Amino acid sequence: MNAILERLAGVAQNPYEYVKAWKQEHGGRAVGTLPMHCPAEVIHAAGVLPVVLQELADPITSGGGAFFPFFCGYTRSLVDQATEGKLDFLDAISFTDHCVQLLSAADVMRIARPQIRIHFHQLIAALDEACSLENSVGILHSMATDLEETLGVTITEDDLRASIRLFNENRQLIRSIYDMRRSGSIRLRATQMQHIVKSSMIMDKQEHNALLRELLPQLQQAGKPPRDALPMYASGHLCHAPRPEILDLIEDCGIAIIDDDLYHGYRYVSTDVDESIGDPILGIATAYLNKNDNAPCPTRLAPHTDWNIWLRDKVTECGAKGLIVLLAKYCEPHYFHYPRIKATFESNNIPHLLIETEHEGIAMENLRTKVESFAEITKRRQ
Amino acid sequence: MTAYAMGIDFGSTTAKVVILDESGEMAASAISQKGAVSDEGVRMALADALQQAGIEQSAIRKVVSTGYGRRMLDIADRSITEITCHARGAVALVPQARVVLDIGGQDSKVIAIDANGLVARYAMNDRCAAGTGKFLEVLARAVNIELERMGSVALEATETVGITSMCATFAETEVISLLAEGHSRPVVLAAVHQAIANRTVGLVGRVGKRDPMVMTGGVSHNIAAVHYLEKALATSLIVPPGAQTAGALGAALFALDDLRAEAAEPGKRIADEDDGVLAEPLECKPACEKKGLFAKLFRS
Repeated sequence: MNAILERLAGVAQNPYEYVKAWKQEHGGRAVGTLPMHCPAEVIHAAGVLPVVLQELADPITSGGGAFFPFFCGYTRSLVDQATEGKLDFLDAISFTDHCVQLLSAADVMRIARPQIRIHFHQLIAALDEACSLENSVGILHSMATDLEETLGVTITEDDLRASIRLFNENRQLIRSIYDMRRSGSIRLRATQMQHIVKSSMIMDKQEHNALLRELLPQLQQAGKPPRDALPMYASGHLCHAPRPEILDLIEDCGIAIIDDDLYHGYRYVSTDVDESIGDPILGIATAYLNKNDNAPCPTRLAPHTDWNIWLRDKVTECGAKGLIVLLAKYCEPHYFHYPRIKATFESNNIPHLLIETEHEGIAMENLRTKVESFAEITKRRQ
Repeated sequence: MTAYAMGIDFGSTTAKVVILDESGEMAASAISQKGAVSDEGVRMALADALQQAGIEQSAIRKVVSTGYGRRMLDIADRSITEITCHARGAVALVPQARVVLDIGGQDSKVIAIDANGLVARYAMNDRCAAGTGKFLEVLARAVNIELERMGSVALEATETVGITSMCATFAETEVISLLAEGHSRPVVLAAVHQAIANRTVGLVGRVGKRDPMVMTGGVSHNIAAVHYLEKALATSLIVPPGAQTAGALGAALFALDDLRAEAAEPGKRIADEDDGVLAEPLECKPACEKKGLFAKLFRS
C-alpha cells in the first residue's frame, strides 16, 4: 500500500494513540469535539489539537450500566470510553449538540469524569430564521470565551483566520480527491477514503495537509478503478465511521463507492469558511448556516433543503447507479428521514439498499447476500 | 455429445444439485442433508445428481453456484445469490409467481417478482435465526420430536398458545415452560409454527403482499408451516414440486444461459458480463481455504 495511505490508515485505526503521541512530542493540549457541527477552527485557534471523538470497536462494558441500550452505538461507545477512563488524555471536551442522545451522553460523561472539563454550546438548529446568524455568532463567541478561560489562552482574530485557512486547505485537498474519485480517474477504495477523512479529524492539520499534498500526485499515477465495478453512492452514518469491513464487503461485491455524504466522508469537508468575510467568527457562523446546502443534516431545520431530494440529485449527478444507505441503529434523525429517502428513490426508480449497522456488529455473510443481490438487481436493470 | 448445465445450491443445512440438458430438460435433481455447508453433503449431492443423469462430470459444461457456501465451490464458473436464484427457479416452476417465500435452514427471504419475472425487491431476516428452519430444528429438539414429524403433529392441535420470544434460545425455554404447564405437544408445536408465520408476515409486509405467492426452501415441506403461513397471510401458497431445489434450479438455468450464450458466440467469456457483480475478494477469506477441495473431490 502507498506509504502515505498507510500512515493515514494507522492514525484512523488508532486515533487516540496518535493524540497521546502528539501531546508527548509537542507538549501540547488536546480538546475532544463531537461530530457534525462543532467548529473545530475555534478550538484550533486556541493553540490546541481538536480531536473528533471516535467510536471504538471495543465492547460496551461499564458504560452499558450508565446509559440506555437503545441509544446509538456512537453515544454508547463514547459513554463507555468515559466510564472506562479512555478519554482521560483529553484536556477538555467541547460538545455542540445535534441530537437528544448526544445531549444525554454529555451529561453522563460529565458525571462519570468530573475531572475533564466539558463545554456545551448549543448551536441553533433552525438555519433559515432571521435570528439564526446572530444567534450562531453569539454561541461561537461564548465558545471561544469558554475555551480561553479553560485553557488560559487568548484567541485572536488572526489566530482564527490562520486556523480557517488551514482547515479550508484541508477540506479543499480532500474534496479534490473526491473530484478525482467521482470522475473515475483514481483508484481509491471506500475504506481508504474513510482513512483519509478520519485521520483529518484527528491529526494536526498542518501535518495532514502536507501528507495530502504529497499524496495527490501519487494517487493520479496509481491508475484507474476497474471499468466494470458498479458505481454507487453511500449515504448516512451521520456521526461515526461505518466499520471498514462493511465498506470492504460492499466493494468486494463488485461495487465501487464513488461518492458519499457520510460524516467520515464528504460531509466533513463539504463547506469552507469564506475567508473574505472580515470577522472570522461571522465567517464560521455563515459557513455553519450554509452547510446544509452542501450536505443536508437531518438535525438541522432548513425548509428549502430536503435531504431526500438532494440525495436523489447527487446520486444522478455523480453517475452512481444507486444508493446504499448506511443507517446506524437507533439514530433517530436518520430514522425520521429514511422513509422519505426510500419513497423518493422508489418513485424515481433508483435502486437503493438499506444497511442497518450496530456497534455490536452485523452478520457479515447475511450482509454479503444482501449486497450481492442488490448488485445483481441493479446490474440487470441497466 | 450432449452438454449439460449444473446449478448447485450449497445451503446452510442442505446441498442441492440440479442438472439440465441443453434443451432445458431436467436431467437430475439431488438433495443431501449433512449439516452446515458440509463438504460431504455437497459431494454426495453432486455424485447423486451425476448418477441420476447417467453422465460423467466432463459432460457438465457450465456450473453456477448459489447458497451460503456459493463462494467455496471452485468448480463453479460463477456464483449468484440465492435471492436471484430462488426467484429464477420459482418463476420457472410457477411462471405467474409475484412473491416468493424462501424459508431455508438459516434465513428467510421474501422476494417480490416484477412483471418480467425478475427480482424487484427483497427482504431477509438479519438479526437472528428466528423464523427459519434452524428455529424449527432447535425447537424440535426441545419438544423431543423428529423434525419431519413436527408439521403433522402441530396440525393435531385443537387450541393455541402464544410464544412471545423470537429468539430461538429464549423460545426453547418458553417451549419447555409451556410443556411443564401441561400444554400438549401438538399445542406447543402449533405455537412454534405460528411464531414462524408471524415473523414471515413481517418480511412480506416489507416487500408488499401480492398473489400468487410461491413457497420454496426446505421449510416448504412442513405442512404446519405452510398452514399457519397461509392463515397469517390470508392467502393460499403455491408449493410446487421441487420447491426445495428451486434455488439450484435457478442456478442451473443461469448456467444454461451461459451454455447457450457460449454456443452462440464460441470463445466468449461469459463472466465478462458479470465481473462487475462478482468481483474477487481483495484478500483470501477463510472460505477460500476450501478452494480446490471440491474440484478434487468432484473429479476423483
